[in-house]
Amino acid sequence: MVTFESLNFSPAIPEIFLAVMGMILLIFGVFRGDKGFRLVCWFTVFSFALAAVLLLHLADISSLAFGGMFVTESFAVVMKVIVLTGASIAVLMSMQYAQREKIARFEYPVLMLFSTLGMMLMLSANDLMALYLAIELQSLPLYVLAALNRDNLKSSEAGVKYFTLGALSSGLLLYGCSMVYGFSGTTNFNDIAIALSAMETPSAGLVTGLVFILAGLAFKVSAVPFHMWTPDVYEGAPSSVTAFFAMVPKVAAMGLLVRVTMGAFGGIAEQWQQVLWLMAAASALLGAFAALRQTNIKRLMAYSSIGHMGYALIGLTAASIDGVRGLMLYMTIYMFMSAGVFAVILLMVRKGQQVEEIDDLAGLAKYNPVMAVCLAVLLFSMAGIPPLAGFFGKLFVFQAAISGGFYWLAIIGVLSSVVAAYYYLRIIRIMYFDTAENELDRVEDTPSLFMMRGTAFLAVIFALIIWPLFHVLHEAVERLLAI
Amino acid sequence: MVEALIFYMFAFVLIASAVMVVVSRNPVHSVLFLVMAFFNTAGLFVLLGAEFIAMMLVIVYVGAVAVLFLFVVMMLEIGKVSMKEGMVTYLPVGLFVGLVLLAELVFVYLGWEMAEGAADRRLFPTPDASEVANTHALGQIIYTHNVYLFQISGLILLVAMIGAIVLSLRTRPGVRKQDIADQLDRRREDAVELHKVESGAGIK
Amino acid sequence: MEAMTEIGVFEIGMTHYLVLGAMLFMLGVFGIFLNRRNIIVILMSVELMLLAVTINMVTFSAFLQDLTGQIFALFILTVAAAEAAIGLAILMVFFRNRGIISVDVVNRMKG
Repeated sequence: MVTFESLNFSPAIPEIFLAVMGMILLIFGVFRGDKGFRLVCWFTVFSFALAAVLLLHLADISSLAFGGMFVTESFAVVMKVIVLTGASIAVLMSMQYAQREKIARFEYPVLMLFSTLGMMLMLSANDLMALYLAIELQSLPLYVLAALNRDNLKSSEAGVKYFTLGALSSGLLLYGCSMVYGFSGTTNFNDIAIALSAMETPSAGLVTGLVFILAGLAFKVSAVPFHMWTPDVYEGAPSSVTAFFAMVPKVAAMGLLVRVTMGAFGGIAEQWQQVLWLMAAASALLGAFAALRQTNIKRLMAYSSIGHMGYALIGLTAASIDGVRGLMLYMTIYMFMSAGVFAVILLMVRKGQQVEEIDDLAGLAKYNPVMAVCLAVLLFSMAGIPPLAGFFGKLFVFQAAISGGFYWLAIIGVLSSVVAAYYYLRIIRIMYFDTAENELDRVEDTPSLFMMRGTAFLAVIFALIIWPLFHVLHEAVERLLAI
Repeated sequence: MVEALIFYMFAFVLIASAVMVVVSRNPVHSVLFLVMAFFNTAGLFVLLGAEFIAMMLVIVYVGAVAVLFLFVVMMLEIGKVSMKEGMVTYLPVGLFVGLVLLAELVFVYLGWEMAEGAADRRLFPTPDASEVANTHALGQIIYTHNVYLFQISGLILLVAMIGAIVLSLRTRPGVRKQDIADQLDRRREDAVELHKVESGAGIK
Repeated sequence: MEAMTEIGVFEIGMTHYLVLGAMLFMLGVFGIFLNRRNIIVILMSVELMLLAVTINMVTFSAFLQDLTGQIFALFILTVAAAEAAIGLAILMVFFRNRGIISVDVVNRMKG
C-alpha cells in the first residue's frame, strides 16, 4: 500500500519548490506580460538560490524517494548546486541581451527554470523511466529556447536541427532502455546492477542496449560521433541561449552519465570503457582540429566544447574515484570558463548590433584593455596554461587516465590540447596585435561585465581554492560509489 | 494458428505503411499511412494483452497527434519545404549500414536471454487478467507507485504548452476585439453627455 | 520465463515482436537520415521510432508478466505527444521565415 509517508517526499523538496515557483512565475508573467521580464528573471535567480539553500540541508543524507525512482546523496547535491549556479549566471547574463535582441519575453526565464528542474531530476534519476522523463523535461524547453528568436531564420533553423537530432537521440536512448528492461526485468538502477552482478559474461542484448543508451547520452553532452548539431545550434540560437546550452545541460548530462555507467552498469565497466575511450579520443581530436578553421566565435566555442567534453570523458573512461572526481572538477571549471567567454560574446556589440566574428575583436586591447585581459585569461585557462584553473582540470583528468592504465588516451588528450592551445592563442593575438578598424561599443550590461571579471578572477585564484573544492568532490564521489 | 495469421497480417500492414510513411512523396499520404501504422500497432497490442495502451494509441495518437500533423501539413503547404538536397546520394551507403544494423539486432533478438531471476525483480507483476482487467491494473499503480513519473509528465506537457504558445502566438497590433469587462465597466456618465440646449443658441 | 530461442513460423513468440520492433525502428532512423525532402516526414519518422520502442516495451511487459513496460510505454506516448506539439511549432516558425526569405536559404548554415 502506498501512503503519503511511504513515498518519502522530503529528499525532493528543492525540486518540488522549483516546480511550484515555475508555475507561480508563469502565472505572474501571464498577468504582467512581457513588461515583467526583468522581474521574472530576478525571481528565477532567487528561486535557484533558495533551491540551492534547500539542497544544502540534504548534503549529508543518502536516501531514496518515490519508491526508489529518485535518489539523493552528496554527489547529486554537489552537481545540482553547480547546475543551479550555472543556470543563475545564464539567466543574469541574458537579461540585457534579451532586451537588446527583442526576445525579452517572460516565458524565457520560465523555460530556463523548467529546463534546470529537468536537469536536477536527471541528476537524481535512479530509474530508466525517471531518467527518460527528466531528460525530456530538460530538452523540450531547450528546443523552444533555440528557436526563440522566431523572426530570425538562423534561430528557427537551429531550433529545427536541435529538435530533430534531439528527438533521434531520445529514440536511441529509449530503444536502449527497452533492451535493458527486457534483459533485466526491471528499470531500477540498483536492481539492474544486481542483475548484472548475477551473470558471468555480459549478454549481447544487454551490451547492445547499453551502447544505445550511451549513444543517446553522448548526444546530450555533444561527444563525437553525436556532435553534429553543436556548431549549427550554437551559431543559430540567440547568444544568451547558447551560453545556457554551453554551460548547464552538459554538466547535468555528465552527472547522469556518471550515475548510469558507474552505478547501474558498474558491473560491466570493461564494456562501456571501450565505447567511452573512442568517444573521448575522437571528441578531443575533433574539437582541436575542427576549431582551427572557424571564424565565428560561437562556432569556435562549439568545437571547443566538443573538445572539452572529450577531456571530461577521459576521466570517466578511467572508471575510478580519481577519474570521476577529475570529471566533476573539469565540468565545474569548464562551466565557469564558458560563462566568462560567453559574457564577452554577449558584450560584442558594434553600433548597436551584436557581432560574432573573431576578427571583430581586433585591437580590443588598445581601446578596452580590461575586456581584453579578462578574455585572454579565460582563454589561457581554457587552453590549460598553468597556474590558471583550466590547467588543474586537465591535470587531474589525465592523471586519472594514467593511473588507470590508459596511456594512449592521456597522450591523445595532451596532444589535442596542444593543438587546441593554438586557436585560443590566435584569438589573443588578434586582440593584442591586430589593429582595430571599427571599435566595439562599450555596453553597460552590468551582469555580463561582472561575470566576465568574476570568472577571470576565479581562473587566476583557482589554485588557492582548489583543495577545499577537491575535498568536497572527493567525498561526493565516495558517497556515490558507496551506494 | 489463427493468432499467428492475425499477427502476420498486422505486422505486414504495419511495416508496409511505415515504409510508405518514409518514402511517400506527398506528406498528406505520409500522415495517412502513419495513422494506418498506429491502428495496426494497436491491433498487435491487443494481441499482447495490453488493451489500455492499444486504446490510448488510437485515441491519443490517431485522434490528436496525427490530426495535428495533418493540420500543419495542410496549413503550411509543407510539400515544398526541404532542408538540404544531396542526402539522396547517401542512400546506398545508408541502406547498407541500416541493413547491417538491423541484421545485428535480429541476431541479438534470436539469442535473447533474460537475466537470471528477472522474474523476481519485477516491480509490478501483472495480475491475473481474469480477476483484474488491464486498465484497472494500470490505474492501480500509475497514480500511486508512479506518482513521481506522473507529475514529471505533467510538467512536460506544461512545457510543451508554453513552448507552442511562445513560438506561435502573435499579438497583432490594431486588431479590435470585444472586451466584455470593458463593455460592462462603461457607465452612462463616461459615454453620454447631456446638455440643455437653449433654442436658437446651439452647443458651444 | 523461458528464453525464446526456437522460433516456429506459426508459434508467435517474443522474438517475432522484437524483430518487428527492430524493423520499425530502423525505418524510423532511415526516415530521419535519408528523407531530407520533407522536414515534416522527419517528425513522422521520429514517431515511428517511438512506436517501435513502445512495441518493444509492451512485448517485454507481456512476456515478463510485468506492468512496468506498459507504464513506460504510456509515458513514452505522453512525451511523444508533447514532442510532436513542440516540433510542429518549431517547424511552423521555420517555415514562416523560409516563406518570407526564400532566396539562398538552402544552405544558410554549413555542416
